[in-house]
Amino acid sequence: MSADGFAIETRGLTKEFGRQKAVNSVDLAVPRGTVFGFLGPNGSGKTTTIRVLLGLAAASSGEIRLLDGDMPKDARAVLPRVGALVEGPAIYPFLSGRANLQRFDAADRHTSPATRNRRVDAALERVGLSHAANKRAHAYSLGMKQRLGIANALLAPRDLLILDEPTNGLDPQGTREVRSLIRSLSEDGTTIFVSSHLLAEVEQMCTMIAVMSAGRLVAQGSLDELRDGGTVRVRVTTPDVSDARRVLTGLGLRPEPHGRDDVVAAELAVPGLLPEAVNAALVHADVRVRGFEASGASLEDRFVALTGEGFDVAG
Amino acid sequence: MPAERSLGLSLVLSEITVLFRRLRTWAMIGALALIPILIAVVVRVSSDGSASGRGPAFLDSITQNGLFVSLTALTVAIPLFLPLTIGVVAGDTIAGEANLGTLRYLLVAPAGRIRLLLVKYTGAALFCLVATLTVVVTGAIIGALLFPVGPVTLLSGDTVGIVGYFGRLLLLALYVTVSLMGLSAIGLFISTLTTIPVGAMAATAALAAVAQILGALPQLEWLHPWLFTNYWLGFADFLRQPLVWNSFLDNALLQFGYIAVFGSLAYGRFSTKDILS
Amino acid sequence: MNKNWRWLPAGIVPVVIVTAAVSGSAVAEAQPQLPAKTAQELLEFVATSAEDAYSGTVEQSSDLGLPDISMATPPGGTSSSDPTSTALELLTADHTAQVYVDGPDRARVQVLDQLAQRDVVVNQDDVWFYDSSANEAMHAVLPDRESAKAELEAKLQEKAAEYPELQDVPRTPAELAEVFLATIDPSTEVTVDGTRRVAGRSAYELRLTPEDATTLIGSIAVSVDSETGVPLSVTVQAKGQEDAAFQAGFSAVDFSTPDAGIFEFTPPADATVTEAPTVDDARARMEAKDEPIATDEPVVIGEGWSTIVELPAGTAAKLGVAPGSGEAAGMGDIMDIKPGMDPEEVAGAQAMLDQALTEVDGGSALQTSLVSVLVTDDGRILAGAVGVDQLVAAAQR
Ligand SMILES: Nc1ncnc2c1ncn2[C@@H]1O[C@H](COP(=O)(O)OP(=O)(O)O)[C@@H](O)[C@H]1O
Ligand SMILES: [Mg+2]
Repeated sequence: MSADGFAIETRGLTKEFGRQKAVNSVDLAVPRGTVFGFLGPNGSGKTTTIRVLLGLAAASSGEIRLLDGDMPKDARAVLPRVGALVEGPAIYPFLSGRANLQRFDAADRHTSPATRNRRVDAALERVGLSHAANKRAHAYSLGMKQRLGIANALLAPRDLLILDEPTNGLDPQGTREVRSLIRSLSEDGTTIFVSSHLLAEVEQMCTMIAVMSAGRLVAQGSLDELRDGGTVRVRVTTPDVSDARRVLTGLGLRPEPHGRDDVVAAELAVPGLLPEAVNAALVHADVRVRGFEASGASLEDRFVALTGEGFDVAG
Repeated sequence: MPAERSLGLSLVLSEITVLFRRLRTWAMIGALALIPILIAVVVRVSSDGSASGRGPAFLDSITQNGLFVSLTALTVAIPLFLPLTIGVVAGDTIAGEANLGTLRYLLVAPAGRIRLLLVKYTGAALFCLVATLTVVVTGAIIGALLFPVGPVTLLSGDTVGIVGYFGRLLLLALYVTVSLMGLSAIGLFISTLTTIPVGAMAATAALAAVAQILGALPQLEWLHPWLFTNYWLGFADFLRQPLVWNSFLDNALLQFGYIAVFGSLAYGRFSTKDILS
Repeated sequence: MNKNWRWLPAGIVPVVIVTAAVSGSAVAEAQPQLPAKTAQELLEFVATSAEDAYSGTVEQSSDLGLPDISMATPPGGTSSSDPTSTALELLTADHTAQVYVDGPDRARVQVLDQLAQRDVVVNQDDVWFYDSSANEAMHAVLPDRESAKAELEAKLQEKAAEYPELQDVPRTPAELAEVFLATIDPSTEVTVDGTRRVAGRSAYELRLTPEDATTLIGSIAVSVDSETGVPLSVTVQAKGQEDAAFQAGFSAVDFSTPDAGIFEFTPPADATVTEAPTVDDARARMEAKDEPIATDEPVVIGEGWSTIVELPAGTAAKLGVAPGSGEAAGMGDIMDIKPGMDPEEVAGAQAMLDQALTEVDGGSALQTSLVSVLVTDDGRILAGAVGVDQLVAAAQR
């Protein structure tokens, strides 16, 4: 096992449902040790990708490496090291929370029955469900079920956690807890692959992200790289609007009309042209610059540009 | 690196626990236990000492010997009630987990698809045994409570003592259990086809009824040896002296054939199935 | 990624099972190599057969072109113990029986019904007949074996007189073969028709073909065990019918002495036990009732395979087969219609008789693929292994 390898790597991963390509030629590369955000609007193919990664569904084409094995060929060796929450939790309503976890743990031949109770209790403790452990699961609230689902992923020490929308149904307090849980797991060296349709959440938790849109992977990289991928805009507040326009045009920019008549804005679309050079040129041309602002594109803008829609929109 | 692999009996134990922790399972066992109780009480209450010669086999013998309650109850339960409960359990095996969504977590654990099929089938088979024993044991108890018991007359006219009779009763329960194994395999296969457990249960129970109807049509005599219900009432061979094993062996062979065919169909289906629930 | 191979077992397993079933029966049917025997040698082999102790399973099936009489008995095995219907049912329905034989003095035949059983136990001088569904036992003491056996059987089939062929209900293939071998006469062609495997044993096939245009019997095949000379199966072929009209044979046989305990029979304590009258008792009783003992002496018309037996006028009335009085009412006796029976059962049996009986010139007739029976309007009964027209002609003679 090379620590600098990828925890998840796919090549040309495609999954078709009939004629629809729910996942279309996806090349994911999730470095080990990262908290990796898998972002995309509803229906963009996140859960389907995760199902295929875990061998629940067969890929139509493409290759998958999970940890050190090929999926689904090496599933028996790989999956014990992977904890997963897929498309929300699933429970046996007639069993207690503890009995639910004991059953899932028993399904894995690699876990030791001797330590089962201890591990189950630890997992319940970790998600804050100890007090309700003996309650029938059908009496659990949505958030408690979600916690139980996360606890299931934590039953054994894992090298990789795949969490599909882990904060779904949680209250703000719960969301914060999950965030800190993920952080602490990551500090233990676990690679965490977490899907979400919420930009803010991913931005807070993740160091790397990939963006899905309509089955395609449209961007992948660190947060900063993604931000840099956007262009900078300059915004000049001045009474000499027409002069400012001329200067900017002279620099090769294309000033846009703006709602206010004392503001000129333009995208800094010329390579090598820095905001300070623009300001110097304006001053040099005797434009009375009352305000100058250079701003990177917000991630939000960036993703709207990539996916063509907002992130909370049901798709 | 993956830890050492155990034999994985934990999952079998877990399956059995989950099966017998369900209220539904106990409701079915209770319903089965009601059959001999109902028969015994009705015979006891309406008993006027005359044999009518009608009704299910062994019914007339009950007043003389309470041990026959088990046999009457089995004869009544085999065509309908046992297949119904087995249909529920076998039809639920995979479809029930798929419906709850728990199937994906079992497979991701990973349980292994073949192993899960085997475990599920083991659970269904165990239920067959428990269901049969429920009828037999309840029958013996209620019979002993309400009627005189004593040495039992076999079909051949020979008489065996109570101990010998219980030995035969156990063999008989085994026979009936084996009889239901083919149906369980069919149920397991149907269960891999759907995520709606009720559908799989109904289909399985309906197949048992269809097979019995086909078995009653003399025009289809050529088909009869191939029907999984063909030897269902052959358990009486264990009530003959000397013991006749023909039906048991033929039945076991037939049921094994069904297990092999539907087991491999279930394997084919389940191992290639996309788990999307 | 092609995972279709996972469906392979589902394709292969049924093929394997069918292949195993087919090749299994092919092995069973493969003709064994045996030293050639002439028909005469084979007949002698059977006659001198030294075997006297064996046990086995006998399967019997018939296709007489009649409605299935076993349908008339309600499911669950509450079939009647009435000897006539028993005898008829024994011959027309499909059966499995366990047979245990130890010498001429000990035999037990168990007819395995569903959830029921009928036993005939012969042990030295004692003969027991036991029917589990009625829980009735009948006991007879044999003064000497031969005549007493006949006595018991006469008793069993008292009312089956209209079926002379069925009178001596044979219980083992050996006994059956005896019946047919006894009919060998110059009009019969006897050939050895190769070899066969029966019940896992190699056997010679002895074929009797009537050279008689009028009989319904096409041919009779008797499989003779090549080691012991014991007939292992008998198959009767009817003319113009592809499937065997009647077949009885061992599906398993074991030539070792059965456990002596099998022939010990004590009736269950709660069973109804009737003592069969001895020959003398019967005679005495008949005389007391002032009944002539042998009025029903049948007339035998013709010979060989087309022999017709005629029971004189009055027989039909005595048997309740009143001609004209409701076509089938009398035949109800055969179908086991008794007062107090479930009307539905009666109706069912009647319907089946109506189906089976045809009106002919001078009476009504029952035609099966092997045997015909004619009840004339003047109350005579004629029966034989010939067509109904033959019976009609004989009746008008
Ligand atoms: N079982 C299925 N059958 C057909 N189409 C499906 C199925 N599951 C998902 N899809 C389709 O695949 C696409 C991706 O779905 P999904 O992976 O669940 O999206 P996400 O998890 O990103 O919200 C959707 O368009 C959805 O309609
Ligand atoms: Mg999803």
